[in-house]
Amino acid sequence: MRESQEKNALVFGNYLYQLLILTTFAGILTAALVMQYAFGELPCPLCLLQRAAMFGICFGIVCDFRGGFSYRNVGLSLLNAVFLLVVSVRQSLLDIYARPGHAYVGSAVFGLHMPVWSVIISVMLLMAYALQLAVLGGDRDLPNVPAGAFPKLKRAGEAVSLYAMALLAINLVSVVLQCGFDQCHTFGYALLHG
Amino acid sequence: MRYGAPGFGDFRRMMVLVFAALLAAFVCGWLHKTAAAIGLLALAFVLAVALFLWEVYSPQYGFAMPWIQVERAAPHAATGEG
Repeated sequence: MRESQEKNALVFGNYLYQLLILTTFAGILTAALVMQYAFGELPCPLCLLQRAAMFGICFGIVCDFRGGFSYRNVGLSLLNAVFLLVVSVRQSLLDIYARPGHAYVGSAVFGLHMPVWSVIISVMLLMAYALQLAVLGGDRDLPNVPAGAFPKLKRAGEAVSLYAMALLAINLVSVVLQCGFDQCHTFGYALLHG
Repeated sequence: MRYGAPGFGDFRRMMVLVFAALLAAFVCGWLHKTAAAIGLLALAFVLAVALFLWEVYSPQYGFAMPWIQVERAAPHAATGEG
């Protein structure tokens, strides 16, 4: 009985952990849209790729809440976390040395620009997943308990998942407006100037 | 800056394809069409990697970043130690 309660607590903790990660990324992606539309900061192509990687990270977690926890979903999120790290490190290195035509785009938040924040975010996420796997990875029952075993948590997870999908739909429309069906620029919204 | 009429460019430059594939993957995942969802996510990933490589490639430098290379030799290299 006690063992069963402990296992339940572990599985609940695992889904709660996923929900926290998903909510954090939904918050980050919301902040990016607010910066874009409230402060007029158009995202550069590499910035948009970093957003895409963050949505890819969310994808694995959304699948966890819809179809039950799976290590494959963790792998998909990790793959996108590594891509986020590669893109953000490359962008940080592109602009690290001030030269004509190259400067960090957008305004700094707490003194750091967006690509540097992306490096920090991706490293923190990789550490969070490493911690999750180290603490919970040995439990064979994790993939056997669907999120539906915790109805409130599942509803919360699906609500945030739908919010993330709505953000992605807004981003798709925004990309169409900014880039059209060609290369992206930060001069303005291509379709609105055409 | 004025734009010409927006047209269709090289698919490797089309950010819209990455986001469209991602959204389709999310919708399929939501509808429990797992195989289609993972296939679309893989497509979005491949397109994103191709776009990234195209964005960072320079005809002048290739993938190198000469602006972060130091030109002075490290002190230990001059003495032949280490």
